[in-house]
Amino acid sequence: MTTAVQGTPASRVGLDRRLVAPLVLIGALVVAYLLMVAGSCTTTGVGNCDKWAQGQDQFINALTIGGIYALIALGYTMVYGIIELINFAHGEVFMVGSFVAWFTLTTLGFSGPISGNLPLLVVVVAFTFIVSMAVMGVVGVIIERFAYRPLRNAPRLAPLITAIGVSFILQNLVFVIISNSIVTVPQVIPNPVLSIGPISIRAINLFVILLTLGLMVALHLFLGKTTLGRAMRSTAIDRDAAQIMGVNINSTIALTFFIGSALAGAAGVVQGLYFGVTVFNIGFQAGLKAFTAAVLGGIGNTTGAALGGFVIGFIEVLSSVYGVGRWAEAAVFGTLVLVLVFRPTGILGQQLADRA
Amino acid sequence: MKYARVGAALAVFAVVASACGGSTATTAPSAAASTAASGAAAGPAMDIKVGIELPMTGGEAPNGVPTANGVALAIAQNPVPGFNITINQQDDAVNGKHNADQGAKNLTALANDTAVMFVVGPYNSSVAQAEIPVSNGAGLMQCSPANTAVTLTKGDAAVALRKTNPTKIAYVRVATTDDNQGAGTADIAYNVAKAKTAYVLDDTQTYGKGLADGFENAYKVFGGTELKRDGVPDSTTDFTSYVTTAKGLNPGIIMYGGVTTSGIGLFRKQMAQAGMANVPLVGGDGINDGSAATASSFLNIAGADGDAGTYSTVAAIHDIPNPEKFAADYKAKFNADPGAYSAPGYACTQIFLQALAAAGKGITDPAALREAVRAYVADATHTFDTVLGKVGFDANGDTTQHTISYYQFDATSKDWKFLSQRDFGANPVK
Amino acid sequence: MSATVTPVKGGGASGAKNVFGVRSYLGKHQSLSILVIVCIIAILLPLLAVIPPFSGFGTQKDWVAGFAQAGVFVLLALGLNVVVGFAGLLDLGYAAFFAIGAYTMAYAASGFTGLDLPFWPLLLVGAIVAAVFGVLLGAPTLRLRGDYLAIVTLGFGEIVPVVFLNADKYTNGTNGITGISQPSFYGLFGINGFGFTNPWPYYLTILVLITIVVMLLYRLQDSRLGRAWVALREDELAAASMGINTVTTKLLAFAIGASTAGLAGVYYAAKLGSVTPDQFKFDVSFTALAMVVLGGMGNIWGVAAGALIIYELQSQGLKQLDAFIKALHLPAIGPIDINQINFLNFQYLLYGLALVLMMLLRPEGLFPSRRRKRELHEEPAVDELTSPDPTGERE
Repeated sequence: MTTAVQGTPASRVGLDRRLVAPLVLIGALVVAYLLMVAGSCTTTGVGNCDKWAQGQDQFINALTIGGIYALIALGYTMVYGIIELINFAHGEVFMVGSFVAWFTLTTLGFSGPISGNLPLLVVVVAFTFIVSMAVMGVVGVIIERFAYRPLRNAPRLAPLITAIGVSFILQNLVFVIISNSIVTVPQVIPNPVLSIGPISIRAINLFVILLTLGLMVALHLFLGKTTLGRAMRSTAIDRDAAQIMGVNINSTIALTFFIGSALAGAAGVVQGLYFGVTVFNIGFQAGLKAFTAAVLGGIGNTTGAALGGFVIGFIEVLSSVYGVGRWAEAAVFGTLVLVLVFRPTGILGQQLADRA
Repeated sequence: MKYARVGAALAVFAVVASACGGSTATTAPSAAASTAASGAAAGPAMDIKVGIELPMTGGEAPNGVPTANGVALAIAQNPVPGFNITINQQDDAVNGKHNADQGAKNLTALANDTAVMFVVGPYNSSVAQAEIPVSNGAGLMQCSPANTAVTLTKGDAAVALRKTNPTKIAYVRVATTDDNQGAGTADIAYNVAKAKTAYVLDDTQTYGKGLADGFENAYKVFGGTELKRDGVPDSTTDFTSYVTTAKGLNPGIIMYGGVTTSGIGLFRKQMAQAGMANVPLVGGDGINDGSAATASSFLNIAGADGDAGTYSTVAAIHDIPNPEKFAADYKAKFNADPGAYSAPGYACTQIFLQALAAAGKGITDPAALREAVRAYVADATHTFDTVLGKVGFDANGDTTQHTISYYQFDATSKDWKFLSQRDFGANPVK
Repeated sequence: MSATVTPVKGGGASGAKNVFGVRSYLGKHQSLSILVIVCIIAILLPLLAVIPPFSGFGTQKDWVAGFAQAGVFVLLALGLNVVVGFAGLLDLGYAAFFAIGAYTMAYAASGFTGLDLPFWPLLLVGAIVAAVFGVLLGAPTLRLRGDYLAIVTLGFGEIVPVVFLNADKYTNGTNGITGISQPSFYGLFGINGFGFTNPWPYYLTILVLITIVVMLLYRLQDSRLGRAWVALREDELAAASMGINTVTTKLLAFAIGASTAGLAGVYYAAKLGSVTPDQFKFDVSFTALAMVVLGGMGNIWGVAAGALIIYELQSQGLKQLDAFIKALHLPAIGPIDINQINFLNFQYLLYGLALVLMMLLRPEGLFPSRRRKRELHEEPAVDELTSPDPTGERE
């Protein structure tokens, strides 16, 4: 979880390199926004179609769906960073998290938005998040303990295959219990459109975006500033050295899985609140796309994973805007292949490929 | 040995029916018994079977089970003297979803069972594509209560399916084709909802794409303008970008070709949330899958806000003679309301039974009987009196009843309410 | 790290004592023994179908039809075994090559293109086309490690059906290509075109295909290439240091694995008569992987047996189990009513469980290869606590 920094001599006149990354980010966002505006309202014969409003809406759509992918990607990248295993089951953890949210909200008796009672809304939403994150965190720890830990020293193929097996177990457990019905999740966050300056955004979109950013920042602070976070980072860099320094490897790895799965659980709650539906097979695709995001950003790098998530969101929405929405899936996986072939380190990541 | 196998099949069918359809299981075996009893008229009765090839398990059970029940009801209510008729039940659902491979295998098994004279099924057009070569090769007549894809009977692809025996039709259907159903949706869009512009979406699957194509062609003829056509893969969960596009297009109506499991319910819900609930939406029988109270139905997922202003079609006649009697009989036997395709399933079986009575007298060789039934049904000059009214089949095996029924969401009953129907054979789109 | 390369004596699969010189005899006359074994199986299987309780599940014709279909998966498992079992490259997108083979057949002999080329040469053509794609799709993965390789192949496995679905003009999109011609014996045994109802010609064909493939695979396993694969699988760095060209070795693994899938695809398309994009999704790749893992990675007969067993369990086993339990009419225990449960829904759940349990308890599979068993159950060479692992992996 580090960034490879290219050194520039301090005496060179030019842009302070700490400004480069944020500037590039803002530049990319502006370009994406302009692309969306350019692609909107291209159908002839349609009257008052406001390019800028359309572009803005699509931009917000991309940020929101990107946020969901980012949350899932964070879990992927953390687990990979620490034990170098692609946790195939992670996408299914997300899916189960959305069912947990459904179960919680329906058991509590809600069926629609909670309007006019902000404290209750806050409590209910917070409660749902806590429940889902806690449950999925525990599920993640259990999976690690029984399916991955015994294979920590096995040849590389074994834990990979086990991970696939676990993902099928999770997905089909839900299928057997719930069947392939599309389940409606109570969307308790109401739907008003807020106007912040020139931007009009729905409350739920704003909530998702802020939540994603907030959780990202919280994770970043946790990893950077706390003892446990330091333990996780050191285990990721060199497991044996960390162990010598007194880090309890097993519980550190368990904690990593807990946090990663909890984030996936949070993404599941978002799925339920934002889309209002969930079904047993959303985990597979979402997991693949989130993994693409993690690789895109640089596997092992949490900022990169979040960045990758948003990039994938933008790719999807841009495909739809430019009328090639049916190719979106191929575009995302094509991106995965291209990134892995030409820049396996990802956008922000560290050298990880071809260690043999 | 044969009875044990049939009995086991019936037991499985009965239990599955009771598990998934909420109906009492005990009546199915008794139906066979009563037919056997009444069938013993003059001379020894010939033991024959009707094959059922439908998706019976998982998420597809609400499609297949009521239809299979319709078949059982028809056999029970219409005995044919000289024949003991039982059911050979097959299930083409694998892991809860219809599977073309499994369907082909099932049909081969039915074809190899020499006692099977007729097959009712399949439900899904993609499964039919794998099955038609088999039934064509075996000369075993199959009648689908629900397939609507045009390419199964008309056009080069259909001719290729019948390659083995090009002159022998072994596939007929009582549901009319998607060019008619698509025209029905266009009719609703232009003439009922009075929308002059449309945004068309399809789920890139056979049925959905065909339906949207049918809509496009007819809508143009009516005089409407299609603003945009988008293919939205069935794995999509995020429709927000399409909703935003729709907002920019501001169409008079949105047309969706596809089934509920491809996500249209979600799309409609998101439309309502984006403030577009006042734009009507029209779809085919893929979204006509139950009231707002039925779990996983389109109306249920779209939510109360989304349901308003939605229309759908069904590729079958609504004004069947005596619908109340049919519903009452069905309910008495299975303790549940009939499904959308129970009556077509019943009709397919009636067609078989009438063909059997007309052409099967005195034939004791199973292979000859099978061919006699096939030839009689395929003959375009024959018409059959069914619960759907008078039905015949043209040279391609398509029904002569080209009626599409129109439905609109009714807020009081929270269900689809019948609007009107149009016979596209008598009243084509010009 | 196992540095000793045990010379593989003859074609034996699992270790067994050299009873009456049988093993060395079999080893010397490998192809003949394969032929004999396949002939024995070919005769036994249909006979098995008429023995109760199997005879109760369906007629012999139904069983043979099932075997003819199972053969497709046996071929897939054999091919995937080359990539995963021999070379140790986890390929999760194997269905892509299956699809390519099937569509090759579809283009060559259907109404869509108007061509009607004969089936038998097309088998070879399909295999070659798929092999070419195997190289194309394998080339980007050369520098990647196990997990990344798996994900990239999974990505390809997702892209290929999407391309077939969306490139309407060239592939007829979601409707797929229908009216594919069946194989023909041109009068041999009195049969011309195979048709759709008689399973015996298909059964015979797939047995011949499997025999040829197994013979070739045994030859490969004993060849220099086979040993190169073993070396690659155990330690890529050491293999490269010993002069093995890892690039060609890996590409050949992909190519040969893909060609088998292409072969299976051609047969499958001709048998079904139509191809649609949704027949080639991830569950096919996953099923093939499950068969390889459960059957015994690296063991040719083990994988074939595993594939047959799993396929039959899948098509018959769960259905019969379901019918059997329902027939017992067990009373409901509390809220759980066993009569309401449909065991057919449990298929992939059981696969997943089987994979996990296998990896934990018996990663070498049901019918292990001796070498693999040693590899997978080996203790680490040095104490892991005191020696750092510079390459980051212990294999």
